[in-house]
Amino acid sequence: MSKLLYVHTGGVNNPERSATPIYLATTAAAMDVEVGIYFTVNGPTLLRRGTAETLIVPKFDGTGAPLRRFIDQAIDLGVKFYVCQPSLDLHGLNREDLIEGVEMIGGAAFNDMALEADQVICF
Amino acid sequence: MTDAPAADRTLDARGLLCPMPIVKLSKLVKELEPQQVVLLEATDPGAVPDVRAWSKNTGNPVLHQETDGNVMRFWIQKA
Repeated sequence: MSKLLYVHTGGVNNPERSATPIYLATTAAAMDVEVGIYFTVNGPTLLRRGTAETLIVPKFDGTGAPLRRFIDQAIDLGVKFYVCQPSLDLHGLNREDLIEGVEMIGGAAFNDMALEADQVICF
Repeated sequence: MTDAPAADRTLDARGLLCPMPIVKLSKLVKELEPQQVVLLEATDPGAVPDVRAWSKNTGNPVLHQETDGNVMRFWIQKA
């Protein structure tokens, strides 16, 4: 099985950048690709419990869908979500603040995943 | 490709945009038995390259394809 690893650095202050890595990963899962998203830098702010329900992924006309819809779709198709502790510390977040289904990894595990993946795609 | 084969299931993805047609197709094909055929109807302008890429990666072949105005139809067999 092919493997893709997405790296998501965008956070709540850039809603327009929040959904794209998630729905690309969702599409990869639908293509039977083994896929994970590593949320780092500002990425973990998107995973704070309660945030994605109210964060609107905007369209040009001011409408849009909540990010939670994209996250649920991704998890439903088997996309794995990863975060690392230093990027939580950056935002004063704890593991308990995050939504269900997020796995904590460290830098070594991330690098290993990157070496094992067929491609790493960074946002 | 010749005439359209009979379809066991139809997936109406008209009006849905990327990535929903592919996501719904993936879920439906997982419910099928091998050799069964799904007819996918889509209007997403990226549907043709997307369905081809999906088919190439999952190994489920596109048996037949038609375009009718802005509606694209794909007959896809579960491998």
